[in-house]
Amino acid sequence: MNPFSARRSSVAGTKPCLVALVGNPNTGKSTIFNRLTGLRQRIANYPGVTVDRKSGRMRLEAGDFEIVDLPGTYSLTAVSHDERVVMDVLGGRRNMQRPDLLVFVLDATNLKRNLFLVSQAAELGLPTLIALNQCDAARRNGLRIDAARLSRRLGVPVIETVGSNGLGMDELKAAIVEALEAPCFLPRIAWPECITAGCVMLRDGICTLGCKDISDAEVLRVLFDRESVYTEPVLEKLRLRDLIHEAHDGIRSSGLSPGSVEAVLHYRHIETLLEGVVESSGPIARTRESVDRLLLHRVWGTLIFFGVMYAVFQSLYTWAAPMMDLVSAGTDWVQTWVAGFLTGTPVLQSLVCDGILAGVGGVLVFLPQILLLFFFISVLEDTGYVARAAFLMDKLFGWCGLNGKSFVPLLSGYACAIPGVMAARTIEDPKARLTTILMTPFMSCSARLPIYILLIGTFVEPLHGPYVAGWVLFFMHFVGVGVALPLAWVLNRFFLRVKPLPFILEMPDYRLPILRNVVHRMWERGREFVLRAGTVILAFSVIIWALLYFPHEESVATGARAEFVQIQSAERPEAAVLAALQNPESPTSLRLANYVDAAYIEQSFLGRFGKTVQPVFDPAGFDWKITVGVLSSFPAREVIIATMGIIYNLGSDVDEGSTDLRTVLQKEKWTSGSRIGQPVYTMPVVFAIMVFFALCMQCGATVAVVAKELNWWWATASFFGMTALAWVAAVAIYQTARMIPILMS
Amino acid sequence: MRTLEMLTPGILARIEAIQSDCDRAGRLSSLGFIPGQWVKVIRLAPLGDPLTVEFDGQEISLRRSEARLITLEPAGGAG
Repeated sequence: MNPFSARRSSVAGTKPCLVALVGNPNTGKSTIFNRLTGLRQRIANYPGVTVDRKSGRMRLEAGDFEIVDLPGTYSLTAVSHDERVVMDVLGGRRNMQRPDLLVFVLDATNLKRNLFLVSQAAELGLPTLIALNQCDAARRNGLRIDAARLSRRLGVPVIETVGSNGLGMDELKAAIVEALEAPCFLPRIAWPECITAGCVMLRDGICTLGCKDISDAEVLRVLFDRESVYTEPVLEKLRLRDLIHEAHDGIRSSGLSPGSVEAVLHYRHIETLLEGVVESSGPIARTRESVDRLLLHRVWGTLIFFGVMYAVFQSLYTWAAPMMDLVSAGTDWVQTWVAGFLTGTPVLQSLVCDGILAGVGGVLVFLPQILLLFFFISVLEDTGYVARAAFLMDKLFGWCGLNGKSFVPLLSGYACAIPGVMAARTIEDPKARLTTILMTPFMSCSARLPIYILLIGTFVEPLHGPYVAGWVLFFMHFVGVGVALPLAWVLNRFFLRVKPLPFILEMPDYRLPILRNVVHRMWERGREFVLRAGTVILAFSVIIWALLYFPHEESVATGARAEFVQIQSAERPEAAVLAALQNPESPTSLRLANYVDAAYIEQSFLGRFGKTVQPVFDPAGFDWKITVGVLSSFPAREVIIATMGIIYNLGSDVDEGSTDLRTVLQKEKWTSGSRIGQPVYTMPVVFAIMVFFALCMQCGATVAVVAKELNWWWATASFFGMTALAWVAAVAIYQTARMIPILMS
Repeated sequence: MRTLEMLTPGILARIEAIQSDCDRAGRLSSLGFIPGQWVKVIRLAPLGDPLTVEFDGQEISLRRSEARLITLEPAGGAG
């Protein structure tokens, strides 16, 4: 009996047995997890870190079993917090239930490296079972594996499986039940004297430094991982560092290198385990080589890469549009339908329709893009192309702290930051992932397009022609990325204290994607977005609605009406105006309604706030109307057009092509201050607005998603950081351009 | 000193040591970059970095900055 086993006896009626799936990335672990649990899955975060904790129920005749799918890892090294999760679960730390059984999912095509994790985990002394996955691929590669012999050597059951078609799943389920009744343990490797002595010394030292409950397996991590997270409770870091140094000196004096001794010993152990187990029938010309020669070719590979990325981008930008329109139309229909029931209570009607339903629609409208992007990501990951794409692109992004895998999130950001930020999960390195998430909102998403088109079409095109206008639009799409990459460099160089991981990529074999997995992943991500980020987006929507609606005093409407009649009477007899207003469908009535809406927005809390803070935006050349427009677009930048429509008395039903709106903007003049009588929209102001929109985080949904993917601290920091940056850039552009008189036309 | 970074693609070489005490050494060695292992660079990325190394039937890509940490046994001993 292994002295370190701490197996909980699972009596019927108490908690179900916990089975943990462990293995390297790309071994088909998730496929086996899906096969074992079906749709009875839950995703949550591990305590304290945003690492997915995927768990599910496996229902068998023998009872219910709780299965947890641990993040794929090559070793138990616990340097980053993401990796720590695996050791935490296996060690039963942070109030987590210790697994009753470990199921290792190994890639049969690369048994040696896969056994490294197994050999390391033997130290934990947990009951173990091995699923030898992708046996079909191993056979195709000319490998013959004697599973029975491997099982005898390891002392634990070895089940051959093929996750993609479900082969061996019944045997695996039966083996799990059996292994829980009669547990088997892995043999631990014999450490040389210098290491055992080092461990004893470290253990005593750590105990006296106030960290009493450290296990033997964890002491090994402290010894080998230089800055292990298990030493966090130890306050006297210097003392601990001395202890580790002392232990390392002991290892060195035995002629071994502390950096690689662990791997060397484990691999030596694995070599003996594998003797006579794997037989290779000579090198087989594998298809991957010829495919790689094409896909990683200097010219063709790069062209294919851009072709694939173009297809992904087009699908987000163009193909998602009809589905998004459908969601918007559905929202409109429901709003109108519900509004019919609430005509008696205007406040409730506005809250339900413009606040809640608009918010729900604002959440659902992102779903088509999220589902499409994760469809492509799943397919590209399952086939093995993502690793190739990262290999091709790494050099372009490495210099600023991102890596080759940042390309897909950043590109997706050009359609919409939400799926882009979620796509950053494919990046294993926490530092590169953090930087990628922070930079994605800078990409020129499709919601920025309307304001560019409106302003360029109204001011640049009439003056300089469509050719220049086209170039300006093209240039605007690079403002964000042009600022983001140097910013990423600065962040990484001076601010981010997270340690970068080396960018080490395994180039997996090419495989056919499994539809079942792809659909599962789309469903998972979509559900997660709606449940986790959706609630926050809805809350934002209701808050902004309230700020734009209240105080909504009746006197505002009466005053606006009187004013409107007075203005109209200048053109024709007052009686004619009043007569026209009798008919609610007349053009005059509609104009009055728009006029009243404009008065309400001006008198709303947000309108008053806009007027108060206008001096802040004055150095960028913004008047109070632009300021209110900018402020009201913080929850979603695309509403700027509708808000401007309301502010300029045209109603919310305008779009970026509206000639009425364009004419009003061209004629708009300052009504107060030093620039009284001058046009508001001069060229410097137009560019200041566009650059502001290019750099500002005017998207509540993105803030919510960043908060869910990282935390609220980063979400807040990136919101204020981007807003400040946008303000500085807008002011700089306005002030610089103002010095060039020709631009002030 | 010869490092993996300098290795001509297509040539076999044996790893001598991992030149680093930091946790990058642990990470590289856990993937099988250990002294005595035969390795071969099979490909460079179009922009010259990263590079792909083949050994033990697996292909691993790493950046030049990491390849630099892996020293190789002097040429000539290769069999």
